[in-house]
Amino acid sequence: MDMASESPSSLANGDSSAASTPAAAAAASSSRMLQLAESLKLEHQFHRVPLEQFKKTIRSHHRYAEKEISAVLSGVADAADRPDAMSREDAADHLRSLVSRLQGLKRKLEEGSKTEKLQVQRCRARLDHLDSIDGDNLTEWNNTRLKRILVDYMLRMSYYDTAKNLAETSNIQDLVDIDIFLDAKKVIDSLQTKEVGPALAWCAENKSRLKKSKSKLEFQLRLQEFIELVRADNYLRAIQYARKYLAPWGATYMKELQRAMATLALRSNTECPTYKVLFEPMQWVYLVEQFKQEFCRLFGMTLEPLLNIYLQAGLSALKTPFCFEEGCTKEDPLSHEGFRKLAAPLPFSKQHHSKLVCYINKELMDTENPPLVLPNGYVYSTKALEEMAAKNDGKVTCPRTGETFNFSELVKAYIS
Amino acid sequence: MEKKKRAEVGKEGLNSAPPTYREHMELNTIKDAFDRVAKKQKLSCSKTQEVIDEVGQEIEQAMAKMQSTDNGSGWDLKSVLLELKAKLNEMAPMNQLEVSQRELNVGLVKYAKILEKCFNPDISKAYRNVDSDVHIVNQIIASHFYRQGLFDLGDCFVSEANEPDATALKSPFLEMYGILEAMRSRNLEPALNWASKQSERLLQNGSSLELKLHQLQFVETLQKGSQNEALKYARTYLAPFASVHKVEIQKLMACLLWAGRLDQSPYAEFLSPTHWERLAEELTQQFCSLLGQSYESPLSVAIAAGIQGLPTLLKLASVMAAKQQEWQAMKQLPVPVDLGREFQFHSIFVCPVLREQGSDENPPMLMPCGHVLSKQSIVKLSKSSTRPFKCPYCPLEATVGQCRQLHF
Repeated sequence: MDMASESPSSLANGDSSAASTPAAAAAASSSRMLQLAESLKLEHQFHRVPLEQFKKTIRSHHRYAEKEISAVLSGVADAADRPDAMSREDAADHLRSLVSRLQGLKRKLEEGSKTEKLQVQRCRARLDHLDSIDGDNLTEWNNTRLKRILVDYMLRMSYYDTAKNLAETSNIQDLVDIDIFLDAKKVIDSLQTKEVGPALAWCAENKSRLKKSKSKLEFQLRLQEFIELVRADNYLRAIQYARKYLAPWGATYMKELQRAMATLALRSNTECPTYKVLFEPMQWVYLVEQFKQEFCRLFGMTLEPLLNIYLQAGLSALKTPFCFEEGCTKEDPLSHEGFRKLAAPLPFSKQHHSKLVCYINKELMDTENPPLVLPNGYVYSTKALEEMAAKNDGKVTCPRTGETFNFSELVKAYIS
Repeated sequence: MEKKKRAEVGKEGLNSAPPTYREHMELNTIKDAFDRVAKKQKLSCSKTQEVIDEVGQEIEQAMAKMQSTDNGSGWDLKSVLLELKAKLNEMAPMNQLEVSQRELNVGLVKYAKILEKCFNPDISKAYRNVDSDVHIVNQIIASHFYRQGLFDLGDCFVSEANEPDATALKSPFLEMYGILEAMRSRNLEPALNWASKQSERLLQNGSSLELKLHQLQFVETLQKGSQNEALKYARTYLAPFASVHKVEIQKLMACLLWAGRLDQSPYAEFLSPTHWERLAEELTQQFCSLLGQSYESPLSVAIAAGIQGLPTLLKLASVMAAKQQEWQAMKQLPVPVDLGREFQFHSIFVCPVLREQGSDENPPMLMPCGHVLSKQSIVKLSKSSTRPFKCPYCPLEATVGQCRQLHF
């Protein structure tokens, strides 16, 4: 796999002479397009999440319609197959109730189809958003992307007000997944008050998909409920509960099951560390984390917030030994303490070619703007030194040592 | 812009326009696949409604029949019900639902597959599992909001995330946005106050912002018509700059001649609104610089770099998939991640002979011919002797003593 050829090397190498010929300009534009496409390919979650939500809605509507219609059908069959004769009034009433059941279903599905329509719109809005980039709005589009990434972070960290606030003030509600996370919030809130009901309901709702991904969440929720019964010294109920809800998982999670059952003998005040930990309040925090992960997986989201993923990639790409030197420019994020700490465990970037930036005007030094060497060994760009010389009767002053030289004393350096 | 460009090229009959990002990522294929899903969803919806209506109609017809069989025997009633049951069986509404649902499902599965193919389905593959410090990230975000001027949002975030220490940037940026806001309504006073307080530090930065603000205020006063006031203003505020900025001050004073009709003077350019915009930008720059902050939000910069760099990192991660441990432990990326010019903050010298980054121990050296190599390469080429050796890039010869260290 050749990585160099797919990166925007013509830009990054500062080969600005390239832009001077039309063919080279086209090549530069084409590599920019490729780079843009590569970065947009990172947006899988952006499209996948509303799709999963849409699928879920469709499934539940379909299931509901099936249930109701089959109830009506069996209602008719029951009446027809009754061995005893029905009175006419009874039969009419019976059929009327079936008709009104159908009307109820119809109303509900009409509501439902509105929801589906909104969700279709949301999926389409995101495709359109991807399609909307042109040369003029790229900066704005990138700003919106940063906002989307921030909303994603807020939602995952349960900072719902900030998420809503940011989405509303930036008018990007269709481009973020607030409603989905608000559903999750109900479950998280209940788990935080040590209540498993909503979480179990969520597991039941998504049973087949959780089973497919071999999720352990339901077992863990049941286990926690069992532990709570043991904590409350409610042994009979605990055993009943275990028979009913834990036993079916025996084949898959025997060890954990055994360990939990042992608490019946030891009780909640045990000092044995293997069992004591089961009674720790931390277990509920783990459950919340576990739920969040299952939730993200179900909707096709990354388990980490997007912000953390992009931030890590960015810091790694920016990290050079020079970032940690004293005179590091403030424009480099790695000159700031917080970013440095985040970058500490990350690898340094690598360069295959020299990339020189003029100390004076921060411009790239390349064939167009070649580096000039002062007699003291300091190097600045031709442009910056020519400008300085023009203002000062052909003299240049080294900004780092204060020494003054004649422009004629400077020599060109060739850096390949 | 791309669309336009393509259209123009098309007119000339050339088909050599470089592919746009849309073509690179097959956006049209994705959209078509989704259109099919949307169509099938509509069909399935109306099909369900139709099925419900039909079932309802059959039942209502049966009810009508029941009413018409006057005082009928139980057998009649039964036959109507049996007939209804048979009809419904024949209609097989459940099957009909199933069929339309299946078609919709096929569309959905196809669309999901296309998404998976056209996008990178897991962008966390290159993520290094480190405990990211939530506090630090939260502080960075709070600072980002404040420095973007989103004060309400920043406050909301700080209280929700419970980070009361993250408000350091709030009050300085409140001041800056106050100054800029006043400038937008043509009020320079807050800006002038700030600039005169920071006068010395601005000069140290090499910025003549203070003079430029006074210039603008002078022109503004003149434009409002009072020659006298303008003159007084110039004497008080422009005079101290006269020795350093001769040309500008002369031009400004000449403006006095055209008081009230400056727009027809040779100095009409002074009235251009772009001065205000440029000055607002320069003020922002200087304000951030004096605060010890960057002009761009560092969070925006780091995320933008991440978006450019991540595709390369993901490719690398998939190549190294079998070496997870190595991936988690490496000290330097094995390949370069090329970022745009805007992310180039440091001069990096890579010795063309050794292919290694320069450092304090191995600094870049200039040879008399103008070519630059690292110190180690030069020592190697000279075989540690004082005899001359040939430059690897040109026919000229040099001795170690003739080479001198460079500072970028």
